Amino acid sequence: MMDVEGFMRHMLWDRRRWNRVLSSPLTYTLLGGVLRLTRGNWPLDAMYQMGVFAFNETGRAYVGKAPVVWSSAFFPVELAWGLGLCPFSPEVAAAYIATLGFGEETMSMGEQAGYSRDICSFHRCIAGAASAGNLPRPAALLASTHLCDGAPLLFQNLAALYGAPLLALDIPYNSSPEAVRYVAGQLEQVWLSLADVTGQRPDRDKLAEAVRCSERFRAQMQRVNELRCRVPSPVSGNDMLGFIYLFFVGQGSREAAEIAAGLAKEIERRVAGLGRSGQTGTQTEKYRLLWMHLKPYYNNELMKFVEQDGGVLAMEEFSHVYWTPLDPEQPFLSLARKTMSHFAFKPVTERIRVMAELARKYRVDGIVHFSHHGCRTASGGALMIKEALRDEGWPVLVLEGDCIDGRSEACGGMLTRMQAFLEILQERKLGCAL
Amino acid sequence: MRLMITAGIDVGSLSTDAVLMRDGETLSQIIINTGAMARSAAERAFGLALSAAGLRASDVDAVIATGYGRMSVSFADSQVTEISCHGRGSAWLSPKVRTVIDIGGQDSKAIRIDGKGNVVDFLMNDKCAAGTGRFLEVMAQRLELELAELGREDQQAARAAQISSMCTVFAESEVVSLIAQGVPRPEIVRGLHLSIAERTAGLANRLGLAPEVMMTGGVAKNPGVVRALSEKLGAKIILPPEPQIVGALGAALIAQQKHARQSV
Ligand SMILES: Nc1ncnc2c1ncn2[C@@H]1O[C@H](COP(=O)(O)OP(=O)(O)OP(=O)(O)O)[C@@H](O)[C@H]1O
Ligand code: SF4
Ligand SMILES: [Mg+2]
Repeated sequence: MMDVEGFMRHMLWDRRRWNRVLSSPLTYTLLGGVLRLTRGNWPLDAMYQMGVFAFNETGRAYVGKAPVVWSSAFFPVELAWGLGLCPFSPEVAAAYIATLGFGEETMSMGEQAGYSRDICSFHRCIAGAASAGNLPRPAALLASTHLCDGAPLLFQNLAALYGAPLLALDIPYNSSPEAVRYVAGQLEQVWLSLADVTGQRPDRDKLAEAVRCSERFRAQMQRVNELRCRVPSPVSGNDMLGFIYLFFVGQGSREAAEIAAGLAKEIERRVAGLGRSGQTGTQTEKYRLLWMHLKPYYNNELMKFVEQDGGVLAMEEFSHVYWTPLDPEQPFLSLARKTMSHFAFKPVTERIRVMAELARKYRVDGIVHFSHHGCRTASGGALMIKEALRDEGWPVLVLEGDCIDGRSEACGGMLTRMQAFLEILQERKLGCAL
Repeated sequence: MRLMITAGIDVGSLSTDAVLMRDGETLSQIIINTGAMARSAAERAFGLALSAAGLRASDVDAVIATGYGRMSVSFADSQVTEISCHGRGSAWLSPKVRTVIDIGGQDSKAIRIDGKGNVVDFLMNDKCAAGTGRFLEVMAQRLELELAELGREDQQAARAAQISSMCTVFAESEVVSLIAQGVPRPEIVRGLHLSIAERTAGLANRLGLAPEVMMTGGVAKNPGVVRALSEKLGAKIILPPEPQIVGALGAALIAQQKHARQSV
């Protein structure tokens, strides 16, 4: 994986070349070849498969093979797959930009474009990349009002920047049958408008197929999560937090469903001791953690540090499959229910209840809430979450940090907090001094 | 059987402290400036502690390093965070302590411990130096006072000057304009102490204050801050005989326990 990164950095170091490089088919032929060489180096083959999928889709978007639609993190992207479009998640792109080491300069471009440093760094990074003209031009933008209050506002600005329509989904803060019908009605409208704007024929069979793929993805991820209950953990949650492309862009595509099925098989083989080098689990597992929100995607020692100290992310809030099965015969109602049922779009007691359930199910020793600066959705309830879960008996660390922006963080401070928390877990687990 | 000898070395942002212990008894303790090289400060403090106790490095059974520079102490057997070390050191000094407030040069921490000195929960100030010892160092310099004089100066104040900024840079310019307005120096000093106390009380209350409360770290040597904090918290604050070495003391104690366990 490092080889691809190094190569990309080398290729893309000059910002003026970005666009020419990114929109040339040659880039994808070349880098695709490099990517194939790295297959054996990925911790999970499913990660490699996701890399190939994300890479091909990115190529499709930049080269302009299909109309591109931007979709914000919690929008039911199945609508776009159901029209044969090319969905693009700017939030996921921001994470990749940070991983490749371009986060700082991209964010400062966003700040120069007028975005305050108090705004979520995913959004600042997107704004910067957009203002530099480095993202694939959208035919339309899709955003929903729930969970992330910044997204629809940012998307409004971006819609104006690109002169493309914003199709927004208004999600009410209750899930009564009327509310579900209200959202389902909007989804149908968005789907029709999206077809109109992008010049596609709204084909209900194709939409049903996308919902079927999304359902397959759901079922396979649930299988993955069941397998992850075992001790020691058969897979590293840190790796699982790398599947953002599958979760935020892939749902509704055949590829994501396939990759999820492959992942489940891969973990099954590991559990049976048939995996690479007969590995059945994370060998150094000392503490099992439940991890809330995301992780730093920029070059940062935190996750490596946790793993070196024997901490394993047994489960993440992010990987939890919270929604019920989808019915391809009722695409809009199913997607409305799915979208509205997110446990964080409820009173905070619901997020607490779900986390406690996961903590019990995955037999964790402690819970870490990674409080990403600028994310009110996630961090607003952190204190209540900490108190409630602590009262149920788990040590909880509210770890302030940033997923994208490494500039303002005293790295030493973050590692000290993390280490001190692991010391608490060790003390509790071993009942003796460190 | 020879009694076990252990060392704790706390490489802080400002001071590097070393403690040598033999079976629960302190043999020597040293406080020096960290300076620019954490590694050599650790070696120097260890060397000074050894000669003060009349020992050689080979007499020491286990060394634990702590503090922000703990990773650069190559001769240590292991590294433990200053959070665990201040907790353990405080409990050993006074077993009834349940809340430890450590204010050092760049960090302030509120630590909850149980009866055995194990950390149950903690909070740490975020990114900048607001409300830490470094803040006071900058202000003392501006006011042409030694750190050790701040407490006495505070005592002479009839009231506290208003310092509204928590930020070291802005607070410094507030101090400059207070001086220009002719506000007496003791009042400015008390204002600064109040501002630190306010911020620290916020941290401690967020953690939940459980008596008894002990204050550790170099700022505990400043009676002005201790008094202001005690008033803000509405709680008595216990002070260790030498607040600056509590982290190193805790490290030496953890080393004893750990080593005893390993040699069973
Ligand atoms: N004699 C003194 N009188 C008053 N204050 C003092 C005195 N000596 C030190 N201090 C204060 O203590 C601070 C340093 O404390 P300490 O040595 O505990 O820090 P540290 O452990 O090096 O830093 P950190 O734990 O943040 O990395 C100084 O910034 C100063 O404000
Ligand atoms: S981290 Fe929070 S604010 Fe930022 S994009 Fe995600 S939900 Fe929105
Ligand atoms: Mg210290």
